[in-house]
Amino acid sequence: MIEVRDLEKQYGNVLALRGISLEIPTGTAALVSGPNGAGKSTLLRILAGLTRPTRGRVAIDGTDPFGKGAAARRGRVGFVGQELALYGELTVEENLRFCAQLHGLDAAQTGGEFDPLRDLDLAPVARRRVQTLSQGYRRRASIARALLTRPEVLLLDEPWNGLDAEATRHLARLIAREREQGHTVVVAAHAVAEHAHLFNRVIQLEAGRLAGDGSASAEPE
Amino acid sequence: MSPPGPRIAMAVLGKDLLLDLRTRERLGHMAVFAALVVVLLGLTLPTSRAARSDWIPALLWIVFLFTSLLGLSRSFQAETEEGAVAMLIQAPCDRGWVFLGKAAANLIALFGIQLWTALLFGIFLDVDWGPALPAALGVAFLGAAGLSALGSLLSAMSMFVRFRDFLFPILLFPLVLPLLVFASRMTATALEGGAISGLAWSALALYDWIFGCIGYFVFDYVLED
Repeated sequence: MIEVRDLEKQYGNVLALRGISLEIPTGTAALVSGPNGAGKSTLLRILAGLTRPTRGRVAIDGTDPFGKGAAARRGRVGFVGQELALYGELTVEENLRFCAQLHGLDAAQTGGEFDPLRDLDLAPVARRRVQTLSQGYRRRASIARALLTRPEVLLLDEPWNGLDAEATRHLARLIAREREQGHTVVVAAHAVAEHAHLFNRVIQLEAGRLAGDGSASAEPE
Repeated sequence: MSPPGPRIAMAVLGKDLLLDLRTRERLGHMAVFAALVVVLLGLTLPTSRAARSDWIPALLWIVFLFTSLLGLSRSFQAETEEGAVAMLIQAPCDRGWVFLGKAAANLIALFGIQLWTALLFGIFLDVDWGPALPAALGVAFLGAAGLSALGSLLSAMSMFVRFRDFLFPILLFPLVLPLLVFASRMTATALEGGAISGLAWSALALYDWIFGCIGYFVFDYVLED
């Protein structure tokens, strides 16, 4: 369960989030939509523990991402931001290996049924440096990195940017699989209509405020 | 489950060394810069060994400081490109170990550059390291360790700052002054064939320990946006 209470984030004079409160139960696939500057990315970065909120409280399964005990739970949350969070000079394989080492995973725990290289069709480019890959493959590699720890909560910020049709289908299958496994998926995106079927909840933000919150099949309130 | 801290530090160290060896950019720039400065010193200083011997230790450490500045200011460059720092922030561990891994990678790079600088001083400034070598190596290692600890911390602090190329030396120079004074005087003693006092060794080691501890404990906050 993701719990957000009276969340505010200020960057200098700009208030990026203005008193957001919401709950996202475990197993939900939520789409956070809204125009540029609505606060989608900031909300996801706070949930991922990358940006500390100015005010308010966040808890993921009862743990504050910035509080005591947060370190041990960081691997439970996978985040793909607008930046790749990969080393361009390392190969895809080396990036994933380094990420696995940071999370204390060995090769056996990152292969088999949950092999992210296979799931995202990255095997052909596994030994190529990330900076030599196309935008689509880079994005896939970033998603593979986030999936490596088998997170219970997956946060994706504009994941469709730069993806071709095939990669978009891969991502759709992946989101569906995460839902089936009872994991929580929160995706921030501009485009709602083409991907709405993947989600059972749509949260709308506008100028840092909650502008709507409803099921994906119905118009947001 | 959180991985053990030393494994995190080793992973960060291995990754940084791999990046350094693969791109050769950071090490290459430092090596070329040191060579250019030492050649200039060789051409401009008095030609007699006796006349310039008093200046050698201070010049060695000043060349080393400016050379290190080039490398240290870029030690988080790979993390800022493509937002790779997020990978470190999200690691389920005590982030102090990430700092120790970064500092260890910088220590290896700086110590290597220090050996290169000492070799250049031998070739172009006719410095005879022979009998002073063991003590000079010890001073070089402790000096490189202190610079790595302080430089890694300040480099991380200025990682997201707009004027980081300007800010980094402004922060580094005043804090590195005690290290520079101790290390150059200890190197002078070694070159003169004297014995370096235990107090001087302890002072340099204490400097390393202080900035190592500060880096370890504050790195968690430094990494946050």
